[in-house]
Amino acid sequence: MTILVIARNTFKEAVRDRVLYLLLFFAASAIVLSRVLAILTVGDRAKVVKDVGLASISFFGALMAILIGTGLVYKEIEKRTIFTLLAKPLRRHEFLLGKYLGLLLTLGVMTAAMSLVFLILVFAHTLTLELRLLLPVGFLYLELCLITAVAILFSSFSTPILSSLFALSFYLIGHFSWSLETLIKKTPPGAGRTLLRVVYTVLPDLENFNLKTEVVHGLPIPASLYLYAPAYGLVYTAFVLLLAVLIFRRRDFI
Amino acid sequence: MADVLDVRGVRKSFRTGFIPRTRDVLRGISFTVSQGEIFGYLGPNGAGKTSTIKCVLGLMFPDGGTIMLRGLSPLDPRAKAGLGFLPENPYFYDHLTASEFLDFYAQLFGLPKAERAERTARLLRLVGVEKAAGLALRKFSRGMLQRVGLAQALVNDPSFVILDEPLGGLDPIGRKEFRDIILGLKEAGKTVLFTSHILQDIEMICDRVAILVEGRVHSQGRLADLVSEKILFTELTVSGVATAELAGLGQNVSVQGGRTLLKVADEAGVEAILALVRERRGRVHSLIPRVQTLEDIFVEAVRRS
Amino acid sequence: MRTKTAIILSLALVLLAASGLKLKLDALPRATVPGSSAVYLPTGKFLRAATFGYPSFLADILFVWAIQYYGNPSIPDKFERFEHIFSVIAELDPRWIDPYEVAAVIALEDARDVPLALKMFDLGAAKNPDKWIFPYQAGHYAQRYLRDYALAKSYYQKAMSLPGAPAITKRLFANAAFQTMDLKTAWETWSEIYATSEDPQIRKIASNHLYRIKATADLAVLHQALGAYRERYGRWPADLDRLAAAGYLSAVPKDMDGRDYTYDSGAGKVEPAVPFWKR
Repeated sequence: MTILVIARNTFKEAVRDRVLYLLLFFAASAIVLSRVLAILTVGDRAKVVKDVGLASISFFGALMAILIGTGLVYKEIEKRTIFTLLAKPLRRHEFLLGKYLGLLLTLGVMTAAMSLVFLILVFAHTLTLELRLLLPVGFLYLELCLITAVAILFSSFSTPILSSLFALSFYLIGHFSWSLETLIKKTPPGAGRTLLRVVYTVLPDLENFNLKTEVVHGLPIPASLYLYAPAYGLVYTAFVLLLAVLIFRRRDFI
Repeated sequence: MADVLDVRGVRKSFRTGFIPRTRDVLRGISFTVSQGEIFGYLGPNGAGKTSTIKCVLGLMFPDGGTIMLRGLSPLDPRAKAGLGFLPENPYFYDHLTASEFLDFYAQLFGLPKAERAERTARLLRLVGVEKAAGLALRKFSRGMLQRVGLAQALVNDPSFVILDEPLGGLDPIGRKEFRDIILGLKEAGKTVLFTSHILQDIEMICDRVAILVEGRVHSQGRLADLVSEKILFTELTVSGVATAELAGLGQNVSVQGGRTLLKVADEAGVEAILALVRERRGRVHSLIPRVQTLEDIFVEAVRRS
Repeated sequence: MRTKTAIILSLALVLLAASGLKLKLDALPRATVPGSSAVYLPTGKFLRAATFGYPSFLADILFVWAIQYYGNPSIPDKFERFEHIFSVIAELDPRWIDPYEVAAVIALEDARDVPLALKMFDLGAAKNPDKWIFPYQAGHYAQRYLRDYALAKSYYQKAMSLPGAPAITKRLFANAAFQTMDLKTAWETWSEIYATSEDPQIRKIASNHLYRIKATADLAVLHQALGAYRERYGRWPADLDRLAAAGYLSAVPKDMDGRDYTYDSGAGKVEPAVPFWKR
């Protein structure tokens, strides 16, 4: 239950962060400006609006997770509020998980806000309430859960700037996993290829949470994806959080 | 009954800098704190007082030695349940009000809502910030933050309270109030450990002390045992006697506006001066015997290492 | 330390599980829409606005993207937007030569549409009227792939006069003129080449071509006379002098070197004494 206490307090703190609202403003602007982009292009306008809208939610959501998450634990250590906190009967992992859950809640609220703007704009464009678009948003949120865990991981031992860079790299690597796959195909079989294969399997593939193309173009989604993608997200998040707990538990607070 | 705190042979060193250089912070610390006493942990800046406290609280992990809180490890949450801690220069969540802040910490102890409200109000009253209960902490002055800090250290009604430089940054009235609160804690049967480098405070309220110098406990024990009752010298301020005559009887410290301040090493010398003054019909303005104080011991200890 | 080992073990286990799930997810067929990125291509009037002040940079990006787009075999109807895409690139950076040439190659090889390739060269020429390369290559395409010598001739003519055009352009023009039976132009041009060239090799070539042109003209006249004779007399004349005697020719032409043409009275065919390139 101490985890929930920390989570609630973290939520109250994170929700006040001005960076969050700045990013929300930019996300909303990007979603609305997709309408302008639609006018500029040759293609199907509704598709552009949906595509850009979903991309904005993904991008700005990740940015929120990274920028807030990387400062979360670091700030407590830097400002030394963590001293009084850890002097209470609170295990270190409870502290970490509480922070994580608090941030997840905050991001949930932000994602909902962005989705609302998005749905309204799509409605203005197509005059239908396309609730099916909430499916890729849901999966995007799963991706955010993982990115947040990574941000918290780095925040527990590194400065916000470095942590942000690492977390951002994680995001990029996760979305370009396919290029590593291409590289593997072109490498001659041998030790190098096996090593690459191992690296590829361990690195995250965030494209598994990307349903934008399918939903926007009305293409079929394989049923087992609904089972395996969330499972993958859950398991990988557990991995990252376990790593964070491992690093955090024996850390000296100088 | 187990000692409230038992520290034995604790060592800790850091590797700092780009080219790692080892810095020994704690070089084998041993001391005990018994139930119901006020224990003063003193030392110059950088001696390792705060580092010791952090090891006791499980914020740092010693390289060697053992620490027991009533027989439990510092990492055991049960040990923390009866513990209260006020850090040096405390800083708290800006956006919360004093009441919200105490309520948050109280929640961590699993206290029910009604009890939390009651306790929060009582503690804020005790430390003297009840008027600012609804004010955001970012608006608090240093002294007010210190008081709120003490309140949060007491939120779980702990049996053992650890305070790191609790009187720093307080005005004289604040310091008196804090000293009274600490004495009140002792009266309530609690044990208090506090660090300081302000010796007067230690002298005023501590039962036992330990002096830490450069990572080692130089001396520890009851205050009365450490400080002998021996008179070191006597300071006299007289007038009406020629300076030349006084010269041989004591060290002439200073002459100011017709008064001579003398430092006299022994009783006989004091008697001689008094006789002389009476003879010359002079006046004795003050006579102050200087006993060995904690400061003397402290300065000596620092100088020796 | 027990908790530490427990955590490390859990870490390994979780990572294994994650990897397994990833492989499972990789195997799932994910639908893609190849070439869907073309949707984002800006249209004409908003083009400059969309560049945010970096038109040539955007041209670079578009060009690279276009190459990828056209290199992707699975995109359907990809040539629908071909002209639009490359005209956009031309609009953004008109003086950049590569896109026009690459577009022509794509049109030729992938779309198998030579007129489209020629359109690309025309576009390049329109934006760069001073560059000989565009009509030059267009001429080549017309000549080689369309076998349209008339078209090739007009292209070469254009290229000929532009600064920096290689000397061979004129020769290609002359040859194209010849192929379209514009013997007058061909003769004039080859004469010019013969007169102005300092390279003995070139002069030899020019001379050979002049020989050929004369031979062609002569042979045409001879065959026409032969035909008229046969029509009149019902048979081929025994030799060419008969033709002159009969009044069908003013004189029996000789080739440029002064030799007689060989006459086969059985078939009624006249040929040059030697192939023009073997002189």
